[in-house]
Amino acid sequence: MSSQAKILARLRQNRPQGPALPDIDAVPFITFDDKFDAFRTLVRNLGGDAVQLADGDSVLSVVQQRWPQHGRLVDLTVAGHEESPSPHAWHDVDVAIVPGELAVAESAAVWVSHADNQWRSIYFLTQKLVLVVPRDAIVDTMRDAYRRIAIREQGFGGFISGSSRTADIEQSLVMGAHGAMAALVIFV
Amino acid sequence: MKNDNIHHAEAAAAFLQDREQARWHDSAIWWVRQKRDMQAKQLPEWEQLRELAQQIKAHTLSRLDDYLLQFQANAEKNGVTVHWAADADEHNRIVHGILAAGGVKKLVKSKSMLTEECGLNPYLEQHGIEVIDTDLGERIVQLRQEPPSHIVMPAIHLKKEQISELFHRELGTEAGNNDPTYLTHAARANLREHFLTADAGLTGVNFAIAETGGVVVCTNEGNADLGTALPPIHIASMGLEKIIPRLEHLGVFTRLLARSAIGSPITTYTSHFHRARPGGQMHIVIVDNGRSDILGNDDFYQSLRCIRCGACMNTCPVYRRSTGHSYSYIIPGPIGSTLGPSRDIKKHGSMAFACTTCGSCSNVCPVKINLHEQLVLQRKRAFDAGTLKPAKKMGLLAMRFLTQHPSLMDGGGKVMRKVVPIVPESLTRHSAWSRPGRALPEMPEQSFKEMWQARQKDKKA
Repeated sequence: MSSQAKILARLRQNRPQGPALPDIDAVPFITFDDKFDAFRTLVRNLGGDAVQLADGDSVLSVVQQRWPQHGRLVDLTVAGHEESPSPHAWHDVDVAIVPGELAVAESAAVWVSHADNQWRSIYFLTQKLVLVVPRDAIVDTMRDAYRRIAIREQGFGGFISGSSRTADIEQSLVMGAHGAMAALVIFV
Repeated sequence: MKNDNIHHAEAAAAFLQDREQARWHDSAIWWVRQKRDMQAKQLPEWEQLRELAQQIKAHTLSRLDDYLLQFQANAEKNGVTVHWAADADEHNRIVHGILAAGGVKKLVKSKSMLTEECGLNPYLEQHGIEVIDTDLGERIVQLRQEPPSHIVMPAIHLKKEQISELFHRELGTEAGNNDPTYLTHAARANLREHFLTADAGLTGVNFAIAETGGVVVCTNEGNADLGTALPPIHIASMGLEKIIPRLEHLGVFTRLLARSAIGSPITTYTSHFHRARPGGQMHIVIVDNGRSDILGNDDFYQSLRCIRCGACMNTCPVYRRSTGHSYSYIIPGPIGSTLGPSRDIKKHGSMAFACTTCGSCSNVCPVKINLHEQLVLQRKRAFDAGTLKPAKKMGLLAMRFLTQHPSLMDGGGKVMRKVVPIVPESLTRHSAWSRPGRALPEMPEQSFKEMWQARQKDKKA
């Protein structure tokens, strides 16, 4: 008998009693009067920032104002954007501008799953990550978010909340563990 | 790998020799518990959320075989190869087989307690594969050649001076520079090189979704993402209890996990993997290794609901004052103290007694496992299996005799209350009651029973 058959037989034999699946919508979850404000307050504590794009301003100019001395910049939000021959070749990206589909107020998370991107490595190799999210695409909680997301990118999708961080040395919070050292969410 | 001969009380006594370090460990972890409380209080629905999580997991455990088959079918539809491992050894052989077929020389790993449980690293190293743990805490303990002391904060038993010294020796950082930011960024630069030159990446699994055939991995550092986005091979090792029925259920679990674990609303990265990166291959290894036996045990099967957040250890007064290294099983604290003894009571019997039965663990558990009740039942098994040290066994037998003879118990209590206050200090100086923090309590005038009886009389009067 294969291990699969043996394991499944034992699981079947040892089945405990269990309840029916609960209706997860039966419970009211927290809501926010000003979702953007909740998002921004939170993301600032998580090594990031959030802004709403002013009329007549552009994402690129906001980025350049914030980091005037930046290095290699790749903008995945434009059609016909730059491509990379391998996932490794994004290793020297300084600023990556990527489309975010949806933002979540309770967790400052942004859903990223870009149908028009080959190598997801760019999200994690870049030193500074800029997420561009439609202004009205912001929900209260993760439950609302899971209702609306889809896996569009090569089988991958992820929530990203602030910048990469760790507290593994004496519980001191340090930004920039392995992924982006800074994160900026621009609502357009 | 952990030494199975660790006896909790003895190892804890050794750890407590360094009072300052012990106090720091206790307060650092208590702070994480407080951060968890702050997050929980911000959500009016917190208790209902725990209830939902418990119900989803309890339901899933009652149909685990069905959901695993559904998961496998959907994962295979996505082009993922699914493997089944009955035990640790089979898991290690499967992983090595995949790596050998791919000609892999260097493997980057993100945090996985399952691979610690299976002893994967030493197995692969014996077969000539370089294994790099990439979570900062895991990397630190790997370089020190010791097991993690906490499932979420692997290096919480260390001071920054020790890490600075280690990095100076291993990574060439400046001697005496203890700045956590400097040390973290030095490790970042070093591990980037490993990510960019690795031939394969291995991750654990936080949640496996039956409905979509995908796995979800949560990290704050981004190491699981770099380790799977760069090399062409991704292996995800999962315990078979990691399954959840539907994607929407993550709308419950992602709200609980990081809040319970570290007091953050969510981890930085919550990544959903359904296929390998273009040109690559993805494998999922489903591991039993004793879990299906626990499922059949009425007393302990609920421990399989665990989502490995670590909240039970952060709140545990015994864990905080003894470190994870004092527990013989690889997973320490309350959850480890039921999982370990369930696996092997002879090896892990002492863990069942690393508990005051205060019940705080059960109260913070996001999936409401009856942890402290399970530990009491594990104590009985530890006693029956003959794992107790003679003094402890004699003490328990004497206590049993006393509780079965009430008049003897009453008389003994009376004598104790009179005698203890007049015992000269010279007699207690070298007893258990002379250790720091263990002062002999004041003796009350009456026993609880006497107070109770007086109270009942007053009520009637």
